[in-house]
Amino acid sequence: MSNDVLVIGGGIAGIQAALDLAEMGIQVHMVERLPSIGGKMAQLDKTFPTNDCAI
Amino acid sequence: MEQVSGEVGAFQVAVRKKARYVNENLCTGCGACAEKCPTMVVDVFNAGLGNRKAIYKYFPQGIPSVFTIDAAACRQLGQGKKCGVCAKVCQAKAVDYDQKDTLIQLEVGAVVIATGYEVFDPSVIPEYGYDRIPNVVTALEFERLLSASGPTAGHLDRPSELALVKEMEEAEKEHKKLQRQVSQLEEKHGKPSSEIVAAFQSGTLPDDADLRNWALLAQDLASLEARLDSMNRRKATASVARKLAFIQCVGSRDFRFNPFCSSYCCMHSVKEAMIAHEHDNGVHSSIFCMDLRAVGRGFEEYKLRGGKQANIRYIRGRVAEITQDEALNPVVWYESTQNRQVVHETFDLVILATACVPSPGAAELARQFQVELDRNGFFKTDPLAPLNTSRPGVFVCGCAQGPMDIPESVAQASSAAARAAEIVAPARQAVG
Ligand SMILES: Cc1cc2nc3c(=O)[nH]c(=O)nc-3n(C[C@H](O)[C@H](O)[C@H](O)COP(=O)(O)OP(=O)(O)OC[C@H]3O[C@@H](n4cnc5c(N)ncnc54)[C@H](O)[C@@H]3O)c2cc1C
Ligand code: SF4
Ligand code: SF4
Repeated sequence: MSNDVLVIGGGIAGIQAALDLAEMGIQVHMVERLPSIGGKMAQLDKTFPTNDCAI
Repeated sequence: MEQVSGEVGAFQVAVRKKARYVNENLCTGCGACAEKCPTMVVDVFNAGLGNRKAIYKYFPQGIPSVFTIDAAACRQLGQGKKCGVCAKVCQAKAVDYDQKDTLIQLEVGAVVIATGYEVFDPSVIPEYGYDRIPNVVTALEFERLLSASGPTAGHLDRPSELALVKEMEEAEKEHKKLQRQVSQLEEKHGKPSSEIVAAFQSGTLPDDADLRNWALLAQDLASLEARLDSMNRRKATASVARKLAFIQCVGSRDFRFNPFCSSYCCMHSVKEAMIAHEHDNGVHSSIFCMDLRAVGRGFEEYKLRGGKQANIRYIRGRVAEITQDEALNPVVWYESTQNRQVVHETFDLVILATACVPSPGAAELARQFQVELDRNGFFKTDPLAPLNTSRPGVFVCGCAQGPMDIPESVAQASSAAARAAEIVAPARQAVG
């Protein structure tokens, strides 16, 4: 048995899942295909419905 | 991801950690290497609208804050030439051309798939002219044009003008080179080029390779100057994009491509039109849609606010075709369902709200994990257990499961994390 969790993909969904798991004290491994995490959201200027900055 | 075995509670996963050719413990993220790197590459992060170097950070605020060499583009690693500039200028001694991919073996109790989506490639719809008409862009490209950290620093310069600026830069470089060569010849022979060109054109030039070459160079120079003149005139009349058209459901709700609604694109078009108007109060936008889907908390109000405060006009009708006039303005042809007429209208820039399609690696990942995909190619889930894939211990959240916006992706992610924790928690108690 292992207590670790693997998260594949470091977009907003993967980052949120990893942060939640880490907060529960669980060891998380994240695999991302690109050199940086952030996914598509990092490419957005601002986001609806609040028009807050995406990064 | 290389290989997966085991089952819920104890999966063995082999992951290939790709070489960055930069030691991530030493790199300070200073960027001295990229400043000096001689190799320019088209920048994918800026949706191909700008350039970056072969040693790069995916985007300025990227995490980890470490540089990476694009081995295929790099002179030293990919092109078999001598370079080594980045290693020389790096004070932290972080550049390592001999770095290799490494295989990492992981043992995990649960897996969360969050591989997201890809944007639909609109060039497969020939009537929209995406790859023929420079001033037709995708919504993601438009996000980069709006961004202060993007290729235009947030100015709504049109791609046709960006291309013109690039063309002019190259022409000016060529002009300098030709001018130097021609003036050297003028000095050497003590004659103006006009005499030689006149003799060449009237056929009275003596049969001399050097003189002939001079005449040809001088002619090239003159035609280049004429080209530069006309480009300068075009540049003087160029203006930023103020009249925008947003085309909805590009590749969505279209049985030729994807039958489903991509759910977030109506809202991102409203958003992009609002931000464009914030940048420049002279911006007017028309959103062409079958219906504008504003299903979500506060979304309907957002749409109405856009219409009232940001000069947005909502037009019901599906766009049939996009053409281009001589001034490189896109022309939108559509059926106005309100007036029951086929009409056309000219815009400065057209933005395509492209569909949300499965990420290109989804099929391979599904095979490795032996989980099922749905008929659209997203990870299949049970409507009553929307985070469970077809395999116990493997969960999915965000756009990997299907089109959804950020608030929904985040909510799903937290739920998937909780489901994964349920599996590994007993294991932790057994250890503890
Ligand atoms: C133009 C545009 C504007 C938008 N504007 C808004 C907005 O204003 N507000 C809003 O709420 N939503 C908006 N959206 C939607 C938003 O982008 C998505 O809801 C959100 O990005 C989904 O996040 P995700 O983490 O599921 O996927 P992604 O952001 O796609 O992240 C997936 C990550 O996984 C990585 N990955 C993929 N495959 C693999 C693999 N095999 N192995 C390892 N890693 C992998 C990817 O590189 C990426 O980093 C917009 C979308 C577009 C196209
Ligand atoms: S070695 Fe490669 S990455 Fe480094 S400066 Fe030269 S071309 Fe750029
Ligand atoms: S969200 Fe709007 S633009 Fe996107 S597919 Fe659905 S109806 Fe079309």
